Amino acid sequence: MLLMVLMLVAPVTVATASEVTDDTKTFRVGMEAGYAPFNWTQNSDKNGAVAIDGDKSYAGGYDVEIAKRIADKLGRKLVIVKTEWDGLQPALQSGKIDAIIAGMSPTAERKEQVDFSDVYYESDLVMVTRKDGDYGKAKSIADFKGAKITGQLNTFHYSVIDQIKGVKKQEAMDNFPAMRVALQSGVIDGYVTERPEGVTAESVDKKLEMIEFTKENGFQTNPEDTAIAIGLPKGSTEVGKINEILAGISKQERLDIMDEAIKNQPASEETKTESSIVRILKQNGTLFLRGTGMTMFLAIAGTFLGAIVGLLVGVYRTIPLAETKGKRFFQKLFGWILNIYIEVFRGTPMIVQSAVMYYGIALLFGVDLNRTAAALFIVSINTGAYMSEIVRGGIFAVDKGQFEAAQAIGMTHSQTMRKVVIPQVLRNILPATGNEFVINIKDTSVLSIISVTELFFQGKSAAGANYMFFQTYFIICVIYFVLTFTVTRILRLVEKKLDGPDNYTPIENNDSVSVEGSH
Amino acid sequence: METILEIRNLKKKYGQNEVLKGIDLDVKKGEVVTIIGSSGSGKSTLLRCVNHLEKPDSGEIIYRGENVLKSGYNLSKYRAHLGMVFQQFNLFNNMNVLENCITGQTTVLKRGREEAKKIALENLTKVGMEKYIDAKPTQLSGGQKQRVAIARALSMDPDVMLFDEPTSALDPEMVGEVLKTIKGLAHTGLTMIIVTHEMAFAKDVSDRVIFMDQGVIAEEDTPQEIFMNPKEERTREFLSRILKTEV
Repeated sequence: MLLMVLMLVAPVTVATASEVTDDTKTFRVGMEAGYAPFNWTQNSDKNGAVAIDGDKSYAGGYDVEIAKRIADKLGRKLVIVKTEWDGLQPALQSGKIDAIIAGMSPTAERKEQVDFSDVYYESDLVMVTRKDGDYGKAKSIADFKGAKITGQLNTFHYSVIDQIKGVKKQEAMDNFPAMRVALQSGVIDGYVTERPEGVTAESVDKKLEMIEFTKENGFQTNPEDTAIAIGLPKGSTEVGKINEILAGISKQERLDIMDEAIKNQPASEETKTESSIVRILKQNGTLFLRGTGMTMFLAIAGTFLGAIVGLLVGVYRTIPLAETKGKRFFQKLFGWILNIYIEVFRGTPMIVQSAVMYYGIALLFGVDLNRTAAALFIVSINTGAYMSEIVRGGIFAVDKGQFEAAQAIGMTHSQTMRKVVIPQVLRNILPATGNEFVINIKDTSVLSIISVTELFFQGKSAAGANYMFFQTYFIICVIYFVLTFTVTRILRLVEKKLDGPDNYTPIENNDSVSVEGSH
Repeated sequence: METILEIRNLKKKYGQNEVLKGIDLDVKKGEVVTIIGSSGSGKSTLLRCVNHLEKPDSGEIIYRGENVLKSGYNLSKYRAHLGMVFQQFNLFNNMNVLENCITGQTTVLKRGREEAKKIALENLTKVGMEKYIDAKPTQLSGGQKQRVAIARALSMDPDVMLFDEPTSALDPEMVGEVLKTIKGLAHTGLTMIIVTHEMAFAKDVSDRVIFMDQGVIAEEDTPQEIFMNPKEERTREFLSRILKTEV
């Protein structure tokens, strides 16, 4: 609750937060590493790719080359921080990164939050459509009358669509691979993009066509939109220095870098000899394995810790009211806080909680949480909220008579809980806990919003680099299913084992009883 | 003989319904007292008030010279001295037969495990359940469960054993084995208060029979007097009604 209230006043604290993690030795650059040819992910350092922070993969592309040159001139070590597009600005504001070099245009809207350097690349807006489709021969944006057109969420690509008269503007989409798949499958008739991405799309899929427009026939754009620049924290003192460095990179050099990037991007690799699935696995196999490891770690540890939280909360709520008034007040107060905790975490999506907590804590307290730790915390506390209700049911399922029998023997409440109730609750909640575990295996995928390198995130970045949306996600889908199916089977076995047989054969030999009693 | 429990003017109300309207009862050491009466007469409530599973509204229960109802009295300790056997057995489902009889000894009486095990085995032998020490409660019949429950209570070395309709939840063919077990205990000099509907058993086992009606003790006497020569009209009515259905 407190966190939420503080979030409302957060903008005031933004300016100070950026200094917190500033390590002058490194130059931390945020990018999606999934927007080829500007930036992409690959699994080796060939063609000058740079290691991604906290991951064993590498980032390459135009942005990376520019970042290398800047870091070099600044005399600082370049660190690439792979970050979701929507996470870039919060990451910059909270000081998790020093700069955004991610093909980002310095729009007026963004300028309110971010300071931008001079332009380091300029491109024209183009339309990508199907070559043999109704719009394959289009020459001007007016030809797209009646076409279903979309663009990337939170970009000006999307807002310029309104300039086409009679267009059927579609919902904005999250990323380019998704738009390509939508285009290939006929869901949309085209999407607005910038030239480098269009060139790439055309070269990867021969059925796609990039339509370029002349100045009169094209979109009317603000020069600051088509240009891309480096995002820096508001009030940064480094703008001048970086502009100087950018000025030292000639126009010809920039073109060369872009041509090189288009040539080197993973999607343009030879594909003829092997099936795409095999190729994806070859390129990303280890990436997927590590993602699977992270997913399983988060699911196992998160479910385990969540179950402990749930048990503590569940058992706390069974404690009889204290005798004295003061104690009773605090007992009720704490119980009330627990109720709020449960309601809030059960009543909001985990994806939103992740974003609020991870960026919120960074914004407010300047603490740069380790992403894995933050993810584990969120999964645990979320599972805990659900588990405490499950535990409540588990305690309820232990018949009242056993509580009375324990009381009648002279056991205290805590002895009753420890010796009699909790062991049975553990058995009672096992199926539901297994269920939570399976849910967690799947739901940890939402943690990709804070760039945790779990399985879905790895799949997403692989798809972002190779543009084989269906094939990549199909592999990810199979991995998820194998995980959940195996876990479900194992849990069944454990349950069966725990319950034991229904019948009991009495001990026939009386001697064995006395022997057992004597040692 | 020494009086072990003194109950003075004990009252208990559930909302508007006064279930106990001032009960006075002394129980002497080694005495077997059975409480009979129709359903709703308050006999189970009285028993549950004695070991404080229900909180009496007023009155006194004096045990070893102290009123256990005064605030601050260590109830856990007091309860450990009273063995309780429930209608529904209430064995701990997470433990096997032996553990059911051990756990109270080790957690409440702080006995060592070996000693507790020895005592548990003795008592399980007493109730004829020594062959089932590894069985889980779910694997036992009702009569077997109740015998284990008796052994569990005995293992705490209670001063008084309380039986709350110990055979009411049993199939008819299992009633006998449980009554036989309780009868066996009566002869060992253990103090017992038994709430029961089994009249023949009450007649056979008791030193004294209490007849309760509408929250008061209507009559108390030796079993011979109560069953052969009841003084009160309502005792006669109750007995004629219940003995008729029994035959």
